[in-house]
Amino acid sequence: MSRPRPLRPLLTLPLLSVLLLTAPLPAQTPKYGGVLVTSPLSATPSLSPHEESTIATVQQASPCFNNLLYFDPARKQESADTLIPELAEKWSWQDSYRNLVFLLRRDVKWHDGKPFTSQDVKYTFDTVRGAPDARAKLKVNPRKLWYENVEAIEAPDPYTVVFRLKHPQPSLLLMLASGYSSVYPAHVPLAELKNRCVGTGPFKLKDNKPGELVEYVRNPDYFVKGRPYLDGIKFVVIRDRSTQIAALQSGQLDVAGSGWNKTNAENARAGAPKLVIVEADSNVNDNVLINFKRAPFTDARVRRAINLALDRKAYLVGPRQGAATFGGALLPKPAGVWGLPAAEVAKLPGMGDPGQQKADARKLLAEAGFGPGNPLKLTVSTRALAIYVDTASWMVDQLQQVGIEATLEQIETGVWHPKMTRLEYQVALNLTGIGIDDPDAQLFENYHCGSQRNFSGYCSEAIDRLMVQQSQTLDPARRLALVNEIDRKLQADGARPILGWAKQYYVRWPAVKNWAVHDNSIYNVSRRQDVWLDK
Amino acid sequence: MRAYVCQRLLIAGVTLLGMSLLLFVLMRLAPGNITDVIFESAGYVDEADRHRLEAELGVDRPVIVQYTRWLADLGRGDLGKSYRYDLPAWEVIRPRLPVTVELAVLSLVFSVLLGVPTGVISAVRRGRPLDYALRVLSLAGLSMPSFWLGMIVILLLVRSLGLIPSMTYVSPFDDLRANLFQFLLPALAVGYRSSALIMRITRSAMLEVLREDYIRTAWAKGQREGSVVWRHALKNASLPVVTLIGIEFAFLIGGLVVTETVFNLPGVARYLVDAIQFRDYPIVQNLAMLIAVVVVLANLAVDLLYSWLDPRITYGGA
Repeated sequence: MSRPRPLRPLLTLPLLSVLLLTAPLPAQTPKYGGVLVTSPLSATPSLSPHEESTIATVQQASPCFNNLLYFDPARKQESADTLIPELAEKWSWQDSYRNLVFLLRRDVKWHDGKPFTSQDVKYTFDTVRGAPDARAKLKVNPRKLWYENVEAIEAPDPYTVVFRLKHPQPSLLLMLASGYSSVYPAHVPLAELKNRCVGTGPFKLKDNKPGELVEYVRNPDYFVKGRPYLDGIKFVVIRDRSTQIAALQSGQLDVAGSGWNKTNAENARAGAPKLVIVEADSNVNDNVLINFKRAPFTDARVRRAINLALDRKAYLVGPRQGAATFGGALLPKPAGVWGLPAAEVAKLPGMGDPGQQKADARKLLAEAGFGPGNPLKLTVSTRALAIYVDTASWMVDQLQQVGIEATLEQIETGVWHPKMTRLEYQVALNLTGIGIDDPDAQLFENYHCGSQRNFSGYCSEAIDRLMVQQSQTLDPARRLALVNEIDRKLQADGARPILGWAKQYYVRWPAVKNWAVHDNSIYNVSRRQDVWLDK
Repeated sequence: MRAYVCQRLLIAGVTLLGMSLLLFVLMRLAPGNITDVIFESAGYVDEADRHRLEAELGVDRPVIVQYTRWLADLGRGDLGKSYRYDLPAWEVIRPRLPVTVELAVLSLVFSVLLGVPTGVISAVRRGRPLDYALRVLSLAGLSMPSFWLGMIVILLLVRSLGLIPSMTYVSPFDDLRANLFQFLLPALAVGYRSSALIMRITRSAMLEVLREDYIRTAWAKGQREGSVVWRHALKNASLPVVTLIGIEFAFLIGGLVVTETVFNLPGVARYLVDAIQFRDYPIVQNLAMLIAVVVVLANLAVDLLYSWLDPRITYGGA
């Protein structure tokens, strides 16, 4: 006979309550229907992702296309472990990672009804890599560099594709999963794809008014059964930020926030308290370009002085309003995969005691021959956009605090990158968004000797060799160690000092479900086939 | 009269030719060209690809060759291709024209309906409280930028009623009510500023005319106030008002950039600014020329109206 326990009911009730409260809520059953209306960052120059480098194109073209594989929208951090199949059912590395073999789905049709085959994949990536026998040539080819290691692409049968590599490159899979790596139809001329999207994706183009509107309807033949949930998506270009906020508050937009800062998001919610703010990290960084090819910035002491003068904590509370994280050349953990450990980040130039660092900066400048009688005079160039100018103005102030006579130069946005490519500046404040959180994408594009996007002119053969070495390293732990080693050297050399990694803000109505946001990329999460409206 | 019109059209042609040259040269003086802008959006510059693209678009040729080719194409009615969107320029411009024309016409109608009567009343009631009230109202209209007024109206509507005009263009042929709601607020915002101008010009012109002998005679003959003011005085005071309305209409066709932006109306003015930013030469040149044609024709129409309003004015012995 058991002993009576008079307190048991009293203990059981609260315990049950706690269990009930903490138990996961049953997932809501998605509803079909409705048209989601959103506002992209800006008008897209075209609907052809391979020819553009702006998130605006990825946002507005992704619902139309598919990749061979994609990053799982439901997982916040993109990595090799979060890849999911799209047009490829399976893939495998063969011949000691020299061949990447994709087995394709057999039930896929283009929006015009034609069947999708391996020829489409071969055509797309032969075009992008600029293969000598490619059937088409892109007018502008921003990501040719990604596929330099591809020796040949073969299509042995309609549903098999083989990428033959010059040497192993684990990053290739991630590059193929990027929002910029859509598969194009071989039977539609490239020029037509700029304004008439023919894809295999969850949504078919209904209307494209360049500069104003891109509208999609549900693709009833989409190969993923039961998707998409929405009847359509409408991208309405609203140039004025205040109008965007008003449109969201009035319910004309279901979700907005591309390019918004924290203040914009909070202003929107202040007028409509039911709005939900989604905050996430991003792989967009504020970086300082110091022209390595122009005196006196050829002097390492001058470069280090500039780097030390820029107090990162002041940057965080000033221009970034508390919405950024610190790091090196790669996005730090926990949002990123490849960044330096927090303990090392805390010791980077600009992260220490501001008074001490500014004193060190003055000392270095004096050693380089600059002081009160002979101040270093320089121009800080930046793009004439508010998000750039705010930080550049802050930079000018910081540099003046160590006796540098800095002035601000705003460069018209239409000629910003050409000027940077030609190194027509002294010191500049730049924003860089990286397509994927991956060392190959970041390092080769922005730090490799001779790269078209190496805007500071930094060049180190030793670092280049390390870049190649890490690119071919298959063991992730060993690769991370190599990447960290490169990052340390880049920071020590003052090659494109990173001020911080910006956070992103999306604001949506509660009825918008499954609007996924990733922590380490803004570029690879715009398919929107899982989004539904609880209306 | 016919000789006068022909003469004016000839002068208009010369003006437009001068305008085309100025426009063409100014666009080429701005730093960077379309290929810079194309590579700007790509985030890098490949010099070989850039040269190839320059040759393809013809922007590597001498400016004089480009200019004469553009004029020849224009003469044939060929507006060229938008460099940015790779579409025929007319295809890009055409859907934007009705938006701007509707906004300009509605704004003008509103400004005339408000500006002329208030100007007349203010002149007739000169020095009285109503005059002061109307003058304050007009001064407020002149002081407030129309885009600011528009933004305030949008914010007030959102806060109080939770609604704003549609963010996508609604054609009057699809839904007249929604179209009018979409255009009403921007037309009121723009029209209020124009009405303030019209009111002030009407008032000063009326004050001058009301002092004329023939008006005094009309009063002395015992004519009713309505007849004296609206029939005799206003018609004779309307020359400067009509001039102003003509100028305002021309301004409204090309000058609604910020209002179109705030109300998200896909009109030509906003698009022209985009095209300038992207060095889309065919769009900029052809749109600016279109605006120039409207300005020239509006001025011609105003001049021709003069003779109808004031029979004392004759042209070329007509």
